[in-house]
Amino acid sequence: MRAGPPPAALALEALTNLRGQGARSLLALLGIVIGAAAIVALTNLGHVAQAETLKRFEQMGVDMLVLRGIPAGEGPVRLDRETIERLPASDPDVVEATPLAIGRDGVRPLNRRQVAEEDAMIVAVTPAIFPVAGLDVARGRALGPFDACVPVAVAGSVVARDLTAGQAVLEPGERLSLAGYVFTLVGVLEPAPLEALSPVDYDRSILIPLSCARRALAAGDPTVALVRLQPEADPDRTGPRLAAALGNATATVSVRSAREMIAAMKRQTGLIARLLAGIGGISLVVGGIGVLNVMLMSVMERRREIGLRAALGATPADIRTLFAIEAAILSLGGGTLGAALGMSVTVLFSLLSGWDYVAAWWIPMLGPAVAVLVGGAFGLYPAFAAARVDPIEALRAE
Amino acid sequence: MLALTGVTKTYGDGVGRVTALDDVSLHVEAGGFVAVCGPSGSGKSTLLNIIGLLDKPDAGDVSLGGERVVLAGRAEAARLRNRLIGFVFQSFQLLPRLTAWENVALPLFHRGLGRAERRAKALAALDKVGLSDRAAHRPDALSGGQRQRVALARALVGEPALVLADEPTGSLDSVSAGAALDLLRDVNERLGVTIVMVTHDREAAARCDRTINIRDGRVAGEAA
Repeated sequence: MRAGPPPAALALEALTNLRGQGARSLLALLGIVIGAAAIVALTNLGHVAQAETLKRFEQMGVDMLVLRGIPAGEGPVRLDRETIERLPASDPDVVEATPLAIGRDGVRPLNRRQVAEEDAMIVAVTPAIFPVAGLDVARGRALGPFDACVPVAVAGSVVARDLTAGQAVLEPGERLSLAGYVFTLVGVLEPAPLEALSPVDYDRSILIPLSCARRALAAGDPTVALVRLQPEADPDRTGPRLAAALGNATATVSVRSAREMIAAMKRQTGLIARLLAGIGGISLVVGGIGVLNVMLMSVMERRREIGLRAALGATPADIRTLFAIEAAILSLGGGTLGAALGMSVTVLFSLLSGWDYVAAWWIPMLGPAVAVLVGGAFGLYPAFAAARVDPIEALRAE
Repeated sequence: MLALTGVTKTYGDGVGRVTALDDVSLHVEAGGFVAVCGPSGSGKSTLLNIIGLLDKPDAGDVSLGGERVVLAGRAEAARLRNRLIGFVFQSFQLLPRLTAWENVALPLFHRGLGRAERRAKALAALDKVGLSDRAAHRPDALSGGQRQRVALARALVGEPALVLADEPTGSLDSVSAGAALDLLRDVNERLGVTIVMVTHDREAAARCDRTINIRDGRVAGEAA
């Protein structure tokens, strides 16, 4: 006995049926398109946002370590400046290292009476801070090796602006009153992006030579060290070694690496991306219910046709396949269109927000894949319902 | 050609139990044109469904084209219908979005034939009923009589052993009805197709070779 029509013929028939249903098919398709577009766009947006966040982190370099002293005894933390500055020579993995002493105080330009005192972070540094933290000078100069204990200062961009109170810009050469001492401003920094790893917000800081720290700061000893490693160094191994080298009676040293923070950030943004994809998934389920609705209506409206086909020799499997293919066409077509729409939306969003557009290869696949899954789940029931139609009853109804 | 022996069919259980067919035996010779007559509720429709392999008897045998029909399942029944039986329904049952030839070719589609072969056979079948010039028209562009001819072409296209016509004149005015009966008669005589026509129209039945009367689920007599 001959088998029924081949799948290709059924597919063609399904396509003809869908076209015959006109607007109804288009509406079901639209539901799937929007659902798939939502899931693709939201997933892609999550991806773009993740890449954008990571890019900010990676700007500071993945080879950065922050070593921070944690008080171990009664007194304040006192890391040894000499040990830190000798690290590039003593440890093969270290390229550069700079000690930092951090405090807060009021600062005021001496020659501007109308300007009130501003509270600022006072950071005592060695000249190595500029290359290590990637700081650039907008006006004037950076701190140099000859500033060992000269009362000079470099101001962060925000502090420099605040200290003018809307007057003429702060120029190198002006004198600043700082903790009862007079410091000469030698430079103003370019705005520096705030990095999560950085212990200091450079824009809101006044940088002074570390040798002056004992004068200007309550606690003049370094509490933090910034270290840049060789690119091939493993921070997980170098970090503890450096921490052990810097630890002393006043402090144990904790290590934070950029790589470690990037990993943590990836986990967090990944969570958000999954959340977004979940929201997209909900809209796709709604689209799937649209397919269910349209297919069930179609089965009910075409009861007579189904009965007729059954009487003329269509097996239940043929009818089931016919309707399943109709659902599959809606799902696959809608999923593909939706993926294209979702990608376009993300590209547009990235353009408008100035983010870099990135997409993983699997994101556009997500549209049709999930749509077929959902369409399959919701399309199977109508297909089975169609196969159950009894030709006697279907043809009797007039 | 077609033989029923001791066919019994009941519906429902207990008090609501209805015997639709009670030990029905009948025989239709090859090339015959037989009317099955009876009032509504006589079991006529049940008989039609059983002959048409749309329903299974509770007891008794159905033989078609010399072989005993065993309905193993719905898929099996569908394949047997496709091969052995051509249906002509009371209300034509043409699909409005298909053209005449596509409607005619529907049984061949479900037989698994390719489009070119379907088209060739459908056009040949339309030619047999004198409608080859209407092959590309949709049903709504055809008159009632023409639709009935398309339906008949569809019944003939698969070269079935038996054409089963269910009230083929029921939806037609007397002129078209007469023409439809002429056509059935013509197909029966010219092509030698065996036809079983279910009708409650005495006049239509009178045009057949033989009339089998059904009453209360039993064969109540035959008239030549």
